[in-house]
Amino acid sequence: MNKHLAVVAAIVVFLAVFIPLASSSPDGLERVVENLGVEEHAPTWNGIMSDYAIASIENPYVSTLLAGIFGTLMVLIAGLLLGKSLSPKNPKVPE
Amino acid sequence: MHIPDGLIATNEPTSVAIAVGMWIVSIAFLVWSWKKAQKTYSRGITALLAISSAFVFAAQMINFPIAFGTSGHLVGGTFLAVLLGPYAAMLSMTIVLLMQAFFFADGGIMAFGMNAFNMAVIGGLSFFLVKLFTRGQGGSRRFIPSVFAASWLSVMTGALLAALEVSPAFAGGVMVTVPSMLFYHAIIGLGEGAITAVLISSIQRMQPAIMGGLTLLKEKTKL
Repeated sequence: MNKHLAVVAAIVVFLAVFIPLASSSPDGLERVVENLGVEEHAPTWNGIMSDYAIASIENPYVSTLLAGIFGTLMVLIAGLLLGKSLSPKNPKVPE
Repeated sequence: MHIPDGLIATNEPTSVAIAVGMWIVSIAFLVWSWKKAQKTYSRGITALLAISSAFVFAAQMINFPIAFGTSGHLVGGTFLAVLLGPYAAMLSMTIVLLMQAFFFADGGIMAFGMNAFNMAVIGGLSFFLVKLFTRGQGGSRRFIPSVFAASWLSVMTGALLAALEVSPAFAGGVMVTVPSMLFYHAIIGLGEGAITAVLISSIQRMQPAIMGGLTLLKEKTKL
């Protein structure tokens, strides 16, 4: 368990270190859209933290880092639930 | 390569049909992978599944520059497939994409079927490429080069599919979207291959016991 927590902590450290270094250039698909001059129309759903930023936090680093940590934890929880629901209900062999 | 809803032309029947069609195809693949994963799942890999999915989410936030003022980021499909096997990997990547679409509007809701197929389903299926390239010998010297090649191919396949799927929004259609998407993703895919190869070989060295997908590689995994 402690080992798992250590890995989760390492992911948070990874985000804290790499977020400022991440490239803000458009990604492959965005580049193609820009190059070919296609106009995207308004999206139907704007998310809760659009563009990985928390609107109420001014500092962009803190804002993105907190959004990233939040997302990481959400995926972690969803992953645990997925694992739980995939697990055999009545394992014949006790683990 | 997350497709936003803004690239689905709601006034174009082809565009809408592709979006709806890809939702149906992806759901079919996810139901299939759910059934297959349940059969082979061992409770012991839950922590690995949750943590590796969380890592993939975090890694996808970190764009690396390629060239021409363009960036890319790890998709992580082959990474998850090698660790978790093809079926759990499809489900795990779908979770990542769901959270991105719902909380961060990274990838659309209408476009979710396309994104799930291009990244989660293709990512999971890349397991069989690794298996093919290693000739079912997970521990062989071909393993890491195979992981690199499968990662590159999974990004290229995803990019090709994305190019086809969004083509109705472009005046030039597939003739312009396919070459340009493949051009940028051929380079982004090298990053994907390199990162995945480094991650997998480090895990193999440090934690050989947790390579659950590796065991699957040696077994007779049938589609």
